[in-house]
Amino acid sequence: MLILKDIIKNYEVPVLGPIDVEIKSKSFVSIIGASGSGKSTFLRLASGLISQSSGSISYKNNIKPKMGFVFQDSTLLPWRNVIDNVLLPSELTKQNNSESIEKSINWLERVGLKGKENSFPNELSGGQKMRVSIARAMVQGGDLLLLDEPFSALDEVTRRKLEDDLLEIWETNNITVLFVTHSVTQAVYLSQRVIVLSSGPGIILEDLAIEKNLKDDFEETSEFISQVRHLTNILKKEGREL
Amino acid sequence: MSRYLSYIAPLLTFAILLILWEFLVILNKIPLYILPAPSDIISSLMLNYLDLFSSAFITLRITLLAFFIASSLAIFLAILFSQSRIVELSIYPIAVIFQVTPVVAIAPLILIWVGFDNAEYAILILATIVAFFPVLANANLGIKSVNKNLHELFSLYGAGRYQRLTKLQIPFALPFILTGMKTSIGLSLIGTVVAEFVAGSGTSTGLAWRIIEAGNRLDIAKLFAALILLVILGIFLFLLISYIEKLILRKWHDSSII
Ligand SMILES: Nc1ncnc2c1ncn2[C@@H]1O[C@H](COP(=O)(O)OP(=O)(O)OP(=O)(O)O)[C@@H](O)[C@H]1O
Ligand SMILES: [Mg+2]
Repeated sequence: MLILKDIIKNYEVPVLGPIDVEIKSKSFVSIIGASGSGKSTFLRLASGLISQSSGSISYKNNIKPKMGFVFQDSTLLPWRNVIDNVLLPSELTKQNNSESIEKSINWLERVGLKGKENSFPNELSGGQKMRVSIARAMVQGGDLLLLDEPFSALDEVTRRKLEDDLLEIWETNNITVLFVTHSVTQAVYLSQRVIVLSSGPGIILEDLAIEKNLKDDFEETSEFISQVRHLTNILKKEGREL
Repeated sequence: MSRYLSYIAPLLTFAILLILWEFLVILNKIPLYILPAPSDIISSLMLNYLDLFSSAFITLRITLLAFFIASSLAIFLAILFSQSRIVELSIYPIAVIFQVTPVVAIAPLILIWVGFDNAEYAILILATIVAFFPVLANANLGIKSVNKNLHELFSLYGAGRYQRLTKLQIPFALPFILTGMKTSIGLSLIGTVVAEFVAGSGTSTGLAWRIIEAGNRLDIAKLFAALILLVILGIFLFLLISYIEKLILRKWHDSSII
């Protein structure tokens, strides 16, 4: 899906890299690291929103995949109601038609917001806004979904629900997911692979393929706990060295 | 309860002040040409309502026209600034120069340029200059305040300049623009009245002229009546813009914006 080669990003100072990584199609990859380690920068580079200082990014078959981006805050337009927010990508790409309206309604239903189509963002809770944002990212039928700490402002119950929704979306739509988070347990729970970035300039400290045999109650298993412990130790050690 | 209080409290205070005023004037036998009682002012208002209201109408018309021209021009410029940094850097300082120059100081010049026969145009120009800046500054700020993530969202879907402007920057700046307009409508009225004063008697017949005229004749009750009309006009205009603001931003104001 996506290959990053010797990627370096500098602002006034180096903030990321060199990074060498390949993201496989249809995989679910999490990126964790301390604040300021360059996780958001990584996502922005991968999506092409910013360009690298050096190195190269290539996409499968050399075609930039359709992407959805879920920002840390839900970034809804407050003057548009829910359905019009979800329709924004179709409007901007000039594909606004009855089909896109139908798709939007379907996605809103899938994220559990049926009946909220005409509500305005300030009438929604944080979790509901995040769902709208996910629906908006999905409605174009993207192949790559990038999420930047999407659930960090949510309560535990809502977060768990949205995590499971996200997994379901990933499984049923055959998409690739790049997921940035602060939470080690969340990363291990959700992903097939976890990439740990060092504190800035971020380089890859660990690239761990997550082993999970049974899907239900994965969090209860010793596999889960030992992988969480392993990653936590890496982050702790990195923190001490600062 | 608190909603009614916000109406009742100021009205009540105002009524008490008026009653105090009335009694102070009567008790101290203050002569009419120094300080008329509220009742005198009201009777003067009724006696002179024809001149006063027609003058108020003239002032109102220029005020609204100046406000409209100033707002449109300011919004247009702010949009232009958002499209070109060079244009902004070149023009913004000129706008600031107009803003810091006292309108009274340039009034004679404008009057000479447009000609004393066209005093109304001079007044319009002066009021426009006074009303212009708050809308420009706020619109400019609003367009610049668009959150970086929102810009990135638009970039992600390949939005062009025009889409970005119409679907993101202008709607985002709207609350800012309306805030600027609320300041600007008041300034527009002040600008009109100040310009009327400077333009002097005989050339214009707005409320300022009535005030000068009444002052010259020591008709203080009429002067107050004109003053009151002016205040009412100011409040009415402010409420009008506030109401329009509320209509437009009904669904999405405050919490959701930042
Ligand atoms: N536009 C920018 N200009 C200058 N420096 C920037 C810019 N964007 C990010 N940085 C710097 O790059 C570094 C990495 O930022 P980034 O946002 O990628 O971190 P992060 O890992 O996402 O942190 P957090 O977990 O707090 O979101 C930071 O030190 C930040 O100050
Ligand atoms: Mg970040």
